[in-house]
Amino acid sequence: MAELLPPGVAPAAFAAALTEFRQALGAEWVFTSADDRASYLDPFAIGDRDDHATAAALAPADTDQLRAVLRIATRHKVPLWPVSMGKNFAYGTAAPAIKGTVVLDLKRMNRILEINEDLGYALVEPGVSFFDFKDELDRRGAKFWMSGPAHSWGSVIGNALEHGVGYTPYGIHADTICGMEVMLADGSLVRTGFGAIPGSQEWQAFKLPFGPVLDGLFTQSNFAIVTKMGLWLMPEPAEMAGVTIDGPGRGDLARLVDTLRPLKLDDTINSTYTIANGMRQITGGARRADIWQGPGAIPIARIEQALATRGKGWWNVIFNLFEHTAGGMDLRVEKVRRHFADRMPQAKLSVVRWKQGEPQAPWMRQETSLAPLAVVDWRGSPGGHSDFGPVVAAVGSRVNTLYEMVERRFEEFGLDPWIGMFGIGGRALVFVADMLYARDDKAMTEACKALFRQLCKDAAQMGIGVYRTHLEFMDDAAAAQTWGDRALPRLNARIKTALDPVGILAPGKQGIGRKPA
Amino acid sequence: MKLLALCGLAIGSALAIPTVAANSADKWAPQSFYADRCERCHGPSGWGTRTLAKRLPAGQAELTRRAQLPASYIAFVVRHGVGSMPQFTPTELTDRQLAELAAWLARPQGAQGAKPD
Repeated sequence: MAELLPPGVAPAAFAAALTEFRQALGAEWVFTSADDRASYLDPFAIGDRDDHATAAALAPADTDQLRAVLRIATRHKVPLWPVSMGKNFAYGTAAPAIKGTVVLDLKRMNRILEINEDLGYALVEPGVSFFDFKDELDRRGAKFWMSGPAHSWGSVIGNALEHGVGYTPYGIHADTICGMEVMLADGSLVRTGFGAIPGSQEWQAFKLPFGPVLDGLFTQSNFAIVTKMGLWLMPEPAEMAGVTIDGPGRGDLARLVDTLRPLKLDDTINSTYTIANGMRQITGGARRADIWQGPGAIPIARIEQALATRGKGWWNVIFNLFEHTAGGMDLRVEKVRRHFADRMPQAKLSVVRWKQGEPQAPWMRQETSLAPLAVVDWRGSPGGHSDFGPVVAAVGSRVNTLYEMVERRFEEFGLDPWIGMFGIGGRALVFVADMLYARDDKAMTEACKALFRQLCKDAAQMGIGVYRTHLEFMDDAAAAQTWGDRALPRLNARIKTALDPVGILAPGKQGIGRKPA
Repeated sequence: MKLLALCGLAIGSALAIPTVAANSADKWAPQSFYADRCERCHGPSGWGTRTLAKRLPAGQAELTRRAQLPASYIAFVVRHGVGSMPQFTPTELTDRQLAELAAWLARPQGAQGAKPD
């Protein structure tokens, strides 16, 4: 792996900065070897992994060392890319947006500072993974549950900051944030919300302080580094039910969305629901070569044929129901059954149940897991995946129009249309249209890039933007924010300039601050 | 009263908060790291084992059952990744810990405590 310089930094300045970083952190926590730098490359890069290689990585142990790093970086104008666990798989993992940017690895700041079992919250540092957090909840026998994402290797803080999603009533992880401690580029430390008041007992208890609510300013942003975060935890439910809905055909998506919406809006369905298309259903336990050996994407007709042999319809829905009143689940499940019987009688519902005190089962999604990585090799090894994630109002006709466009583009660009939709918050769905590719197939990775960029343009024509992207596409996603002569990007740029005038924090993240101010 | 005292500490002094140091280095051991992190994919039914089973002799897909697994190869794979296995950074596994893990895995088949076929 070739040596690199951070963008805009002369060799002598970088050498001086590295010397000072070693003095501040200890030489063992400044990583410059080829092997160490390779460990921060994106394992699922869409193309050449070195396009987003880092010149070095730094690992401070605490906020004092972090402050020292920021001052050195500012002095030498060395851009930094903060990561918590650095496991943002499908979106760039630990790699920086701009080649040469130095990774600021916060994994050593890994304390679980508090789990409050009276008020149901936790206060954690960036290096706490979902593995660590679940282990600690289990060790305590806590009567509060974690809401975890699809894979558990990542950071609790990092996932919430990146607007990650889980499968419980607390599954919009950014919504569970209550109070942050952040370090600004100049090294000053700020506590948001009631954390601003010495002796406050409400920092993690109430989100709306006297004055602006700033927590959101620091999610998916590069305005500061989050060093602590409060997160709310869900009390253990009395009962759970896992619901699977099968049977709807290809033409039923609009009706399906419109049927689910009222149940989600009135909180009968009180967690994220997932709608999977036919392609997602045929991958489990299958090898692609057994389904299709021809050129390009698997044809829709072939997918339908594979579904038929499994007795499946094109659409499948899964969600879990949570109930805190013993016996209440019967009412909740019955309401779902009646609602579907009235509006979508062709749908087949199956329900599994759990009560407090019984052993947990995999469908409850309470165990930590790396299982979602299994699909990465679908197009061959070494494989990779990344997704197009537009947010669309939960209106059947609009969702269907978007779906048909996305599916058509996937087929056109030769990629299997592996598409799911997550019903989040009742009023919108987030698509995860996953591009699965063979990493060493340049034509395929180039097709992925072209597909994503085309989809961004298509979606923008509908007035639709994405919720998150791989760092390869951050500028493309931000390009859709054109309202008011790009008023929002211009405001972001002004905030960036005010808080980070030298431009050392994560240049290019979400399309913000790509060039130093 | 206990609740109030804890909350007060949480705001007043981070150092005074009851803390849990995740992945505490002083309790680190290669076999426990392997069981906790590697086996999720490389255990009997893991994704890594299923992938390796396609190209290795029967009974050797699990890393702890491999007839040959040089320490230098393990060290390279952990830092660089291989196939679709993501890498581990030196903050997750230091060079010293990686050397211990590699040496433990490189021992002859069955020596890690796994049952030979």
